[in-house]
Amino acid sequence: MPKQLTRPRSAGPLFIAPFMVLFLLLFLAPLGYAAYLSLFQEKLVGGTSFVGLDNYLTAVKDPQLREGVVRVATFFVIQVPVMLLLALLFALALDSGLLRLARVIRLGIFVPYAVPSVVATLMWGYLYGPDFGPFAQLSDKLSLPAPHFLTDSWMLGSLANIVTWEFVGYNMIILYAALRTIPADLYEAAALDGAGAWRIAWSVKLPALRPALTLTLLFSVIGSFQLFNEPNLLMKIVPDVIDSSYTANLYAYTLAFTSQQINYAAAVSFLLGLVIVIISYAFLLTANRRRPA
Amino acid sequence: MPEYPVSSPALSRRLLLTAAGAASLGAALTACGGGGSDGGSTSSEPVGQADIDKAMTTPTELTFWTWVPEIAQEIALFEKKYPAIKVKAVNAGQGTPEYTKLRTALKAGSGAPDLVQIEFQAIPTFTITDSLLDLRPYGASALKSQFVDWTWSQVSGSDGEVWAIPQDTGPMGMLYRQDIFDKHGVEVPKTWDEFAEAARKLHQADPDVYLTNLAANQVAAWHGLLWQAGAKPYVTSGKSDITVSVDDAVSKKLGAFWGGLAQEGVIGVEPDFTDSWYTALNKGKYATWIVGAWGPAFLSGSAKDTSGKWRAAPMPQWDAAKPSAGNWGGSTTAVIRSTKNPIAAALFAQFLNSDAESAKMFATKQFFFPATKALLADASYIGATPAFYGGQKVNEVFAGISAQVDPSFQWPPFLDQVATDWTETVGHSLARKTDTVAALGSWQSRITTFAKSQGFTVKAAP
Amino acid sequence: MTTTTPPASSVVRTADPAPEPSKQRRRRPSQRRSTPLTIAMLAVLAYFLLPLLWLLIASTKSTQDLINSFGLWFSDAPQLLTNIRDTFTQDDGVFLHWLLNTLLYAGVSAVGAALLAAAAGYGFAKFRFRGNGAAFNLVLGAVMVPATALAIPTYLLFAKVGLVNTPWAIILPSLVSPFGLYLMRVYAQDAVPDSILEAARMDGAGEFRIFSQIVLRLLAPGLVTVLLFTLVATWNNYFLPLIMLNDSDLYPITLGLSSWAAQAQNGGAGASSDMLALVVTGSMISVVPLVVAFLLLQRYWQSGLATGGVKQ
Repeated sequence: MPKQLTRPRSAGPLFIAPFMVLFLLLFLAPLGYAAYLSLFQEKLVGGTSFVGLDNYLTAVKDPQLREGVVRVATFFVIQVPVMLLLALLFALALDSGLLRLARVIRLGIFVPYAVPSVVATLMWGYLYGPDFGPFAQLSDKLSLPAPHFLTDSWMLGSLANIVTWEFVGYNMIILYAALRTIPADLYEAAALDGAGAWRIAWSVKLPALRPALTLTLLFSVIGSFQLFNEPNLLMKIVPDVIDSSYTANLYAYTLAFTSQQINYAAAVSFLLGLVIVIISYAFLLTANRRRPA
Repeated sequence: MPEYPVSSPALSRRLLLTAAGAASLGAALTACGGGGSDGGSTSSEPVGQADIDKAMTTPTELTFWTWVPEIAQEIALFEKKYPAIKVKAVNAGQGTPEYTKLRTALKAGSGAPDLVQIEFQAIPTFTITDSLLDLRPYGASALKSQFVDWTWSQVSGSDGEVWAIPQDTGPMGMLYRQDIFDKHGVEVPKTWDEFAEAARKLHQADPDVYLTNLAANQVAAWHGLLWQAGAKPYVTSGKSDITVSVDDAVSKKLGAFWGGLAQEGVIGVEPDFTDSWYTALNKGKYATWIVGAWGPAFLSGSAKDTSGKWRAAPMPQWDAAKPSAGNWGGSTTAVIRSTKNPIAAALFAQFLNSDAESAKMFATKQFFFPATKALLADASYIGATPAFYGGQKVNEVFAGISAQVDPSFQWPPFLDQVATDWTETVGHSLARKTDTVAALGSWQSRITTFAKSQGFTVKAAP
Repeated sequence: MTTTTPPASSVVRTADPAPEPSKQRRRRPSQRRSTPLTIAMLAVLAYFLLPLLWLLIASTKSTQDLINSFGLWFSDAPQLLTNIRDTFTQDDGVFLHWLLNTLLYAGVSAVGAALLAAAAGYGFAKFRFRGNGAAFNLVLGAVMVPATALAIPTYLLFAKVGLVNTPWAIILPSLVSPFGLYLMRVYAQDAVPDSILEAARMDGAGEFRIFSQIVLRLLAPGLVTVLLFTLVATWNNYFLPLIMLNDSDLYPITLGLSSWAAQAQNGGAGASSDMLALVVTGSMISVVPLVVAFLLLQRYWQSGLATGGVKQ
């Protein structure tokens, strides 16, 4: 009897061991090394020296980093609510039972998730083309002014469009799957109370979606603050609009690889990580507080 | 870009503790420090013939990072002469991406190749870190007379070292659309003043056409223009002194000229080598392309629809009495100092670019513009009359330009940083039609700040 | 809300831990389908498929036609088969290498990540031990760190052990999937009843046997979900191969396509814009396998995500 009671407890660590060992080696070790590197500075003339927290102080005062962070914060505020609202609307539409071809629509909206960002940016970069992209050609034929997707003022929106296109389907599927598990008796009860379709959506579906919405929102916080792939790839087409510090993550990458300032880059990355952690927690705390006891 | 949730606020404390533990783990794993550079001789004592013979008959495999397409043909020539040596060509990217990979590999102490294709402008970026092998002990000095003078000075170090062997060059000329000039009665401009006039006249006659496009992302073109104008923006002495003058009188003259044309709206400023730019060239949006000597072959491949309509001419001059030229592009072959096979690598680098047959292949198979005097004097090469250029002897035009390239232009030891800064200051000012001269000042201060932060002593221009 | 009906849903769940959407279908009187809504959603669908349509059409064109013809309709001389053939023969058939590499990296990573996450998720969910909560939260918190912070240190550490420029440099980091761990833990909590475990232990079965013969089967839909999502993440990963791989023979398809696009874009000798048509066709080909995989396996990943979405 004692054997069967104690065995479960010691087997636990064994099951998590393979994962945790790899995690330690592939994540914690480089992270630690990055932290270590961030305390030094290496110069082309003069070699490496210990500088303590100097890199962090410089980073906090760095206007390029601040601009990059503000920009991804702006991006987050624009893109995420739009994307999640759309995902919600689509999920509700699919769940409503009112659609024909629901399956096709569901899959079609999800397909962009399977497209690598390299290809997505290639496609949208072409579609946005100011002279020879299809939208420009069409507006030319209709004698309308050409849309300026790739100019300074529209760029953030254009990027937001690409990211939304890529991920709405993914978020929609999570919300839709959550909707599909709402038990039938809740609907029956609501119907008995005489609730119409909108009332049902508001009082039955939305509350049930809260955990899933929290999940997708958290995904999006982290993703948008780490925005890198799409601006990095579009930079090649419009280097006069997207520069090397357009987003904070892109700035860290440029510092590490172009300027070869890997120590400073490490400090910048940690600061960015800190910003993400703070915002994620702030968000989680508000979300948890609002839940009924 | 997958994104993930967190479910407990107790995280941060534990994360901090574990990160501290991981930091020591990370530090312990790296206690050995960075890889130093070893191998290769640092003196210029020539390596003995006996050693060379031995090395060239010992089975060896060399790794060569190059983006030259179909270089297997030239490599085959070398392997025929030295059957014991095998050269493996790896495409690790073209230009900046390859340099980034090389720097990271050198820093890590492993993964770097034996040989690398490196453009002229990038050489000082790798000599400041002692990454290249001086080729003098392996007989490189004997090749000096074979190469055009300015190319040899581009690969030479301050103490006479030979850091690389020139492979191909890009002296800058002007390719123009004869038909568009004829249609609007524009003469081929011989001076920059004439150029400005032609730009205004052409754009006024046809608002859909521009005389040229100065790409807002192409620092290489800007450097070539500076080179032609006689500027010396970067002068390095020793290992730690540098003079940066990218906003001196000559630069400001260029800034006012090009910035002015951009603000007037008579030239294009879109990024080059994009889909939109290719389309523009094909549809005749730009009447000229000021480009290096690799341009003619490139253009004939990417603007087939316009065949027969282009011609070549030297760039307009600031002083018609003293014609000069700049260079855009062109590569060399260098040996990495930490190579385990210095002799074989050095001999390969030399063979690849100085062997008559190999050099000729670069010109006739890959359409590179030669760096050797022999090819530039070769009648069949000079006399070629491509139909794309209406039968004009384009190579002859560029050979003449090559003779006018100033041999004393220097590059900075941190080219990628300079390039990024240019795009974000001067490039932006061209694209947004703001004050280019002021942007030059920003560029200057960004470079100076970076140089100082890297430990250089930045001197004022004389 | 009435309580006369027994909690049928929870009974259904424990008996069948992989709730098929059909079992949960609400028994409603058949609704009238809404045509306006359908049309609106079809318009939405068109927006999402538009770029892919462009890709399909563009891959039938030559480079000159790409430049000259209208983007959303075919050119006069479609050459899809020629383009496909050229894509596969360019650079000594390196495109096929890239496809096979991607298959290798993504396949091995997906299977490995799913198994590791399943084992770890099971361990976190069903066992009590010291540090359970802390370790789990640590892993989840890890994803907040930007990948760029880890790029160079990981590269330097890998270089020390000679793993740079090898497939392992891509596979090993991809085996660690915090999202997979989260999902598997939730799934294990939900789909593996303690009673079954107790019964098996009473019968004297070893822990490993319990895991491989009972638990894995119960976790199947979640496993497939993690497998699929890791497959996508590794298949589409661009940044990691960008820093780890030098030899173009080892590139996955994302990096390969981007290097061809760079060849088309960069000036200097040796470049040409002939690559444009190949980049486009290659992109089209690269999208097909994943889309097909998702189509075929949709039953699994939709139910697997359901559990992850509901619980927290």
